[in-house]
Amino acid sequence: MPTFTRRAELNPFPNSQPRISIEEGRSGPSTEEIAPQSAVGQTPGSSSVSVFQAFFREDRFFLILSVFIGIFSGLAVVCFRFAIDWCRIYLLGSGAVPTTWRLLAAPAVAGLVIAILAIHVFPGARGSGVNQTKAALYIYNGYIPLKTAVGKFITAALAIGSGHSLGPEDPSLQIGACLASALGRRLRLSRDHMRLIAPVGAAAGLAAAFNAPISAVLFVIEEVIGRWTAGILGSVVLSAVSSVVVTRWFLGSESLFRIPPVEMSRPSELIAYAVLGIVGGLASVAFASGIATLRPLCRKLPPWTQYLQPAIGGLLIGCIAVLGAPQVMGAGYEYIDEAMHGHFTWQFMAILALLKIIATLLSFVSGTPGGMFAPTLFIGAMLGAAVGGAEHALLPHLSWSPGTYALVGMGVLFAGFLRAPMTSVFMVLEVSGNYSIIVPVIVANTFAYVISRAMQPVAIFDALSRQDGLELPSMEEQREESILRVEDAMHPPPALVLDARDTLDRVSKLADQEKAEKVLLVRLHPSGWSSITREEVKTLIEEGKGSQTLESILAGGGQIPYLHPDHPLETALRYVDRWPLVPVVNRANLRELEGVITQHDVLERYRDFGGE
Amino acid sequence: MTKGPKRLDLSLYFSREPVTLALLTGLALVLLLAVTGLSRLYHAQQESLAERWSGRGVDDLNAGHFQPAVMDFRTALLYDRDNSAYQLSLAQALLGLKRTDEAYAYLINLWDRQPENGVVNLELARIAVQKGQTERALRFYHNAIYATWPGNQETERRKARLELINYLLQINARTQAESELIALEANAGEDAAQQARLGGLFLRVQDYSRALPAFRESLKLEPKNDSARAGAGIAAFETGQFPLAERYLAQAVASAPNDTASATLLQTTDLVLKMDPFRPQLSDAERNRVVVNAFNAAGDRLKACPALGTAKPAPVSPGSPPAGNAAGNVNTNPSNSSPSSLAQQWEKLKPQITERGLRQDPDLVNAAMNLSFQIERGTTAACGPGSQADKALLLIANLHEES
Repeated sequence: MPTFTRRAELNPFPNSQPRISIEEGRSGPSTEEIAPQSAVGQTPGSSSVSVFQAFFREDRFFLILSVFIGIFSGLAVVCFRFAIDWCRIYLLGSGAVPTTWRLLAAPAVAGLVIAILAIHVFPGARGSGVNQTKAALYIYNGYIPLKTAVGKFITAALAIGSGHSLGPEDPSLQIGACLASALGRRLRLSRDHMRLIAPVGAAAGLAAAFNAPISAVLFVIEEVIGRWTAGILGSVVLSAVSSVVVTRWFLGSESLFRIPPVEMSRPSELIAYAVLGIVGGLASVAFASGIATLRPLCRKLPPWTQYLQPAIGGLLIGCIAVLGAPQVMGAGYEYIDEAMHGHFTWQFMAILALLKIIATLLSFVSGTPGGMFAPTLFIGAMLGAAVGGAEHALLPHLSWSPGTYALVGMGVLFAGFLRAPMTSVFMVLEVSGNYSIIVPVIVANTFAYVISRAMQPVAIFDALSRQDGLELPSMEEQREESILRVEDAMHPPPALVLDARDTLDRVSKLADQEKAEKVLLVRLHPSGWSSITREEVKTLIEEGKGSQTLESILAGGGQIPYLHPDHPLETALRYVDRWPLVPVVNRANLRELEGVITQHDVLERYRDFGGE
Repeated sequence: MTKGPKRLDLSLYFSREPVTLALLTGLALVLLLAVTGLSRLYHAQQESLAERWSGRGVDDLNAGHFQPAVMDFRTALLYDRDNSAYQLSLAQALLGLKRTDEAYAYLINLWDRQPENGVVNLELARIAVQKGQTERALRFYHNAIYATWPGNQETERRKARLELINYLLQINARTQAESELIALEANAGEDAAQQARLGGLFLRVQDYSRALPAFRESLKLEPKNDSARAGAGIAAFETGQFPLAERYLAQAVASAPNDTASATLLQTTDLVLKMDPFRPQLSDAERNRVVVNAFNAAGDRLKACPALGTAKPAPVSPGSPPAGNAAGNVNTNPSNSSPSSLAQQWEKLKPQITERGLRQDPDLVNAAMNLSFQIERGTTAACGPGSQADKALLLIANLHEES
């Protein structure tokens, strides 16, 4: 009897249900978590308040808050865009090609100012902003000082506006994350929600900067949060969409580039896109290696040089511009647009891709605040259109659409350099609004990603965070981590599986014959599983219940949960300490036993895995 | 006892989410208003910069300074990237710099967005002409003709059609050019220069019967238009209306003595009129004299053509009338039209072809003229074009055979 009592207490499914699986079991805890909060405020005569509180539970409130985060981030990004343009107009002049002295002086002087601000006023403003947001999530419980947003806003606007080869997306992401974090602190959200609020703001900032909510959501999920859950996804999507609505309200609904018609006449042209993927992969490796190598070298230089590095970087970029390639300055979206519409020769675009890599290296490694998204897209577009043009020159029968190649090229660099393969595909689809491009994008991106992964094992964001002394989780490594499953730890089914209609006497006899283990599995009717120990059988027979069936003994809460072979092993951990033997059953036939698993099996497997 | 729970209710109500949301909404509204103000400033500045730079671009483009115009329009597009007018002007400036491929890229993108834009279609047609892409050129020209144009649509469409006709003539597609001209004629307004241009184009496609009314219409509107007079003269000449041709050509030569082509044609016309024995209001004596002269001229021509039986037919010059379509009672048998046979016939008839002989037998007029025509055709075929008199005789032959 004590055994039965204990089982009933431990049973998480008190209302006996015909089927109990792990999936169903998961819904239990969530209701338990919610219940205590619903109970708060249940004071006499407070029914109106309780209605509000039931409606505004923290998780629901968090969803509503996500919309506000989106709105505030959208507004901030709109102002950021204005600031960049105003900086450009006042520093470089309103003409498309600034005068020589402006080309040289503006980025250099701005670099000096930025260095002073970044060292003395806004030390958190350096870098792209992606890793800072990840650090907020994993290290600082969602805390990012508001000062960082202000610093990022000012320094990045100055840098991009003065012609440093950086983009506004990553700073926008960080500004969104900062605003969200500040709001969360002000509203005293729980620690769990505080941790999530920075990525929610990041998605809003990125979506607003990119005018592409799906890509922003995917990027934040893929590169910052690293996991999919309904709660996170809902908040991230809401914030991204609301920020894009705000941005479009003020800046129009046009995408960053005007997309020309996508052309691909025959499937054999996929080979041409595969070549683009290979070239893009190699370019990504060169670009990433350059940053990973030069950045620590610049940091090792004497501290006083930190004041001069952004200025020197800016001066060198100005020199590139004076020598005939002013297109490398700033984010360069207008030139991506021109490349897409075939306004440059393929040779010139190849040169621009190379010069943009150099210019971005100069800007980024010198510690100038700004993002790498736009330069990546610029390099990808130029490289894509250049490779397409070269291929067409060699094989004139290939259909030649610079826009298509440039678009695929952007995806290629995104996959190869930023190592966000899923975002890279959806980004191109979202920006182009044309799903017929999906096959070339996937083909080219796969090649680029595989090459980049093979030649540069550490992704650029991971490399940067390690250089900064932060051990942030690598989303790429997490994605590729092998997962242990139940089937890796379970052992074969026991020779004796009892039927619920067996009497206790028969059970005792069978157990003796088969020399069964201490715990016996019982197959219930019409479905479900239970277990009973030999000790319990013996006790019940001694009590004179030997003629009773197991069914009658186990009635009322005797079911135990079961697992499937493909369940992650960590799922089994939740049950094996409460049930000595958990059945592992076939998904198609729940009465078919595939194996059994115990706590010992799980621990043993983890121990072996650690050794591997 | 009662104050406690009420205070609790209020504090719960005011300290929790609804109030927070209300505050956030208020803050969002305030910020939206603030950013709206900034946005207006920003967009006004962008608009003003776009206008300023495009204004400079237009000035440069009009002055033929294409390089600065390109930079100006590029800058204008920085501030208003979807402005079709700026894109079109940029493309035109690029065309001015002979950067056809770049211009084409802009134009084709414009065309994707505005396939009905006449200017874009016309520029694309011109680029296709430059690249020798006839089919594309014709397609874009036709698009341009039926497209939407800024300003006076009819005038612009007419210009586009005229350009297409010139292109068709350039590639020797006369039939297509003639069809376009007929369409153009239907829409031609009461404009002297336009009618004269139309007549000129009809002349180029050798549709003289349509050219003459166009020139006459032009002269009705502007009687002292020299080129229209000359054109009308040519058209009348080619349609065999020699008295009319003489009148127009004489006027043209009188007002433009340097017009040698008209002067030459006038000479020929005069000769035709002089040598034509069938013209009305001619006395018998005069007719007989003209017939004798024509017969003698044909004989001289026959003697001057040494390539007798062995002579190969010489190519007929573009200005001379066709020789091989003789009709009526002229002997067209190749064996009979050979120089030797013709000489025999001429020799045989010669004694009868005198003023007296013709007076006695008026039927000889036809026989003499028929043989003369035959001789002129045969010798032209064998020895090439002859003198002005020979040309005139051939023209008279054609004229009377047609009638």
